[in-house]
Amino acid sequence: MSGHYTSPIRDPLIEGNKTYHDITVDLVAATERAPSRAWWIAFGVSVSFLTLGVICMLITIWQGITSWNLNRTIGWGWDITNFVWWIGIGHAGTLISAILLLFRQKWRTGVNRAAEAMTIFAVICAAIFPGIHVGRIWVVFFFFPYPNTRGPLWPNFNSPLLWDVFAISTYFTVSLLFWYTGLVPDFATVRDRAKGLRKKFYNFLSFGWTGSAKHWQRWESLSLVLAGLATPLVLSVHTIVSFDFATSVIPGWHTTIFPPYFVAGAIFSGFAMVLTLMVITRHVLNIKEYITIEHIESMNKVILVTGTIVGVAYLTELFIAWYSGYVYEQFAFFNRALGPYWWAYFGMMACNVLSPQVFWFRKIRRNIWWTFFMSIFVNIGMWFERFVIIGTTLARDYLPSSWSYYVPSFVEIGIFLGTLGIFFTFYLLFTRVAPVVAIAEVKHILKSSGDQYVHGHEQASATAEVVEGSQP
Amino acid sequence: MKTLTISKNHRTVCIAMMAIGVLSLLATFFGADDELHTRFWTNFLHNSVFFTGIALMALFFMAASITAWAGWYVVFKRVWEAFSLFLPVGLVLMVIVAIGNYVGYHHLYHWSDPESVANDALLQGKSGFLNDNWYLLSTLIIGGLWYFLARKIRSLSLAEDEQGENSFEHHRKMRIYAAAALPIVGFTSAAMIWQWVMSIDPHWYSTLFAWYTAASWFVAMICITILIILYLKAQGYFENFNRDHLHDLGKLLFAFSIFWTYLWFSQYMLIWYGNVGEETGYFLTRIKDYPILFYGNLLINFALPFLVLLRNSTKRRNGTMIFVAVVVFLGHWMDIFQLIKPGALHTAHELAGHAHDGAAAEHGTSVTGFIFPHILELGTLIGFVGLFLFVVLTILSKASLEPAKDPYLQESLHHHV
Amino acid sequence: MATKNKEILFGIYSDEEELLHAVHKANDAHLVIWDVFSPFPVHGMDEALHLSESRLHIVGFIFGLLGTLTAFLGMTWIFTSDWPIIFGGKPYWSIPAFIPITFELTVLFSSIGMVVVFYTISGMGPGVTNPTLHDRITDDKFCIAFDASNLSEEEIDKRESFLKDSGAEEISTKVI
Repeated sequence: MSGHYTSPIRDPLIEGNKTYHDITVDLVAATERAPSRAWWIAFGVSVSFLTLGVICMLITIWQGITSWNLNRTIGWGWDITNFVWWIGIGHAGTLISAILLLFRQKWRTGVNRAAEAMTIFAVICAAIFPGIHVGRIWVVFFFFPYPNTRGPLWPNFNSPLLWDVFAISTYFTVSLLFWYTGLVPDFATVRDRAKGLRKKFYNFLSFGWTGSAKHWQRWESLSLVLAGLATPLVLSVHTIVSFDFATSVIPGWHTTIFPPYFVAGAIFSGFAMVLTLMVITRHVLNIKEYITIEHIESMNKVILVTGTIVGVAYLTELFIAWYSGYVYEQFAFFNRALGPYWWAYFGMMACNVLSPQVFWFRKIRRNIWWTFFMSIFVNIGMWFERFVIIGTTLARDYLPSSWSYYVPSFVEIGIFLGTLGIFFTFYLLFTRVAPVVAIAEVKHILKSSGDQYVHGHEQASATAEVVEGSQP
Repeated sequence: MKTLTISKNHRTVCIAMMAIGVLSLLATFFGADDELHTRFWTNFLHNSVFFTGIALMALFFMAASITAWAGWYVVFKRVWEAFSLFLPVGLVLMVIVAIGNYVGYHHLYHWSDPESVANDALLQGKSGFLNDNWYLLSTLIIGGLWYFLARKIRSLSLAEDEQGENSFEHHRKMRIYAAAALPIVGFTSAAMIWQWVMSIDPHWYSTLFAWYTAASWFVAMICITILIILYLKAQGYFENFNRDHLHDLGKLLFAFSIFWTYLWFSQYMLIWYGNVGEETGYFLTRIKDYPILFYGNLLINFALPFLVLLRNSTKRRNGTMIFVAVVVFLGHWMDIFQLIKPGALHTAHELAGHAHDGAAAEHGTSVTGFIFPHILELGTLIGFVGLFLFVVLTILSKASLEPAKDPYLQESLHHHV
Repeated sequence: MATKNKEILFGIYSDEEELLHAVHKANDAHLVIWDVFSPFPVHGMDEALHLSESRLHIVGFIFGLLGTLTAFLGMTWIFTSDWPIIFGGKPYWSIPAFIPITFELTVLFSSIGMVVVFYTISGMGPGVTNPTLHDRITDDKFCIAFDASNLSEEEIDKRESFLKDSGAEEISTKVI
């Protein structure tokens, strides 16, 4: 990290003239007090959605995939749409932790802990779908390659569906390790303030952390290497998910831009979900001084950039479809825009390409209400994008006599709502058990980015004006 | 030293390099070429595209850094400003190619030949985009737009040095132009790459192609940044460019080499996997007829930077960094070589009435300079490097090397990883 | 662990710059520091304490290489020798198709290996309790600690006065 020299043009990242002790108290507060009524209501709603989801999953397992509306030729519907949607959402956490660490962006410390937690919960939700959509979940262990007495029967290493199994298991494991490594010192902070049963609990979780200099050195080295590993990992995971489509020969699916385009889209939706959660969390837990408007603005800029990249990819696909002269490819896109699912296509375009353009305006980037509603739009748009790719293409492929239309069954809708329930239940529990902001990392940047040390360029220019104005 | 003075030595070396380039080009044109002058024109196009792309990536990365409030690079930002101001030169070179489409002194593009288009439904379908008029117009308009953005950012940067004060007004304006430059370059670079490079193989397409080519340009840009700075540092300039700055450039080289490889693999694997004849022909030709180029590309541009730059220590040593930068620079030059040469040779064969079965050697037309760069290709490269250096050094000499009033200067001077 | 029983003499500071300065002074005075504790990593501390560079990245590389070889050689054996089946017209040894899993296993092995080694060599793990000297070290206080187990009165006094002079606001001993 650079020394304490910070350019006067930068705005502070910690407000309120905090001391190290203030940071500790503010950020462990939520774990030390009983949940508020708002928390209980949110928890109740989430758990009911979760329950609905579990019931629908049990129905699926009991009755089979017949409880869904998948049929010829639409073999993938809400299941895979939701799978890709959740994996995409998970990408922001790793990006914030890993890539922003490598780029030395100090503002990541306000949001990385919650974003990493979000990644883990999102990946859990995503992993449910490959699990339950196979039909015979009791033999899902067939996926895993180990010497067996079934032949031996190995999985197909040539299939992107199996690459997915490895990618998502690895992603889940590495994200968990990365998240937990960061949490250990913060759990120690909670432990040292706790008494009785809570102390025992946090003692278990903090792995015996003492704050020794040698341990910090190893911890920083480990964080950097994990970040260096997690960066290509996060690119590879959504790339491999895109391979599920791109390795086929289906028009609209078989296109080489899918890997980086999917990654950009994942980051796009992930940041949107982080914003949705952060806007609420910072307000409810009263930590606006740690998740400042600077943080919000930076994340909105990332949304603008990744949304534009997604837009470039859309235009590229459209142009090359024309350029290729391949009638089926041209039809695929014609069908997306004007076929039976035209409403999904326009939803996608409006939410993903048009709406983020508002973030060109600084005032809007720094406005909480705009940010909150935009973040929801973006996630809706990205859901539509996956549905457009999957649903429209499968509904109208090569043979017109096979054309069909897909509408999800109540069981499928219930499962999706259930994953929302699982996600928010986990997140709500997380906010009670662990500090949602990386305490040690925020303390680390206090002297370079706290508002008593850094005044920001608006204040700097105001000071300059005062000085100039006072010239005789 | 705070200002660069171009010594007589510099000038002499650059001019000598350019002379070598001109001689190589002449020797190619008059000596070692077919009647369509394919070798000459592919060498010309290859190098023009390569260096224009480097200039464009410097503009793009500068714009990204400004928009991201990055401060570490400011101590050498003049280098990237100078790179981006090579754009007008690059565009003049591309306009020469564009005019060639009309007057027919080259036959690089199959779609530019009216007879070929008349007999080919695919080419007819693409003629709305692949035509001589649009090639020239887009080169002029889009190229002009890039130059406008580069000049604007440069002039704001210079003005900041003269009149910059605490309100950071110049930087605010730079952020606006930089932010605008990002989507503009993002969209238009793709269009120009399709036009200049991808259309050399007009029956083939790949949606990833533009990003792949841009990544190649980007790594080459980082390589030549490292080389120019270390050279000037050895001459006594850039005293405040420290080991940590070098380390960061090394990290960028490492990371974007891996990113380039990722794009290479995505494009290759998806076409291999789908096994669609219209797409696989592109790679089959390269694997069968240009194998050294094809596999060498991966070796030099992935294996070498990955293995050498994985460790922290290697990114902090001048010698190692110079070695890697030179090799990878040549590696990406070769990458663009193999994007252009096979398709152009195939077009030449088609136009000269030869059957196309991929075994170029059997046609009696020499393939020297196509299957692998030969001495004249290297001579041409030297010429273009000389030109690039001449332009860059001239521009560097026009302003102080250290931007005194840049708001991030102190951060950059105290840069410590 | 039960037979450790070290006597630790330590001082508590409120500012990391003061702490770093004190460590430098301790080095000058040739006082061997047992350990330094802080609520976050202090910039410059590694050099001040002459800590040898962490070699975790080497661990990461080795485990990663193990992952690469396991994946690639494993799939090669399975698909060329043990269970060769033609999938989609692709050759048995379909290298491009092996790349994604090879990459994933490299990252997986590397990460798990490094994390497990990190906790093991640091004496940490689920449920492990290491003695802490002061409850506010993980809050806002910094600590320099000397091992006073076998030191004479004079030596202990020297360290105590050093701690006081360098700005320690609390000086204490603990047996761990």
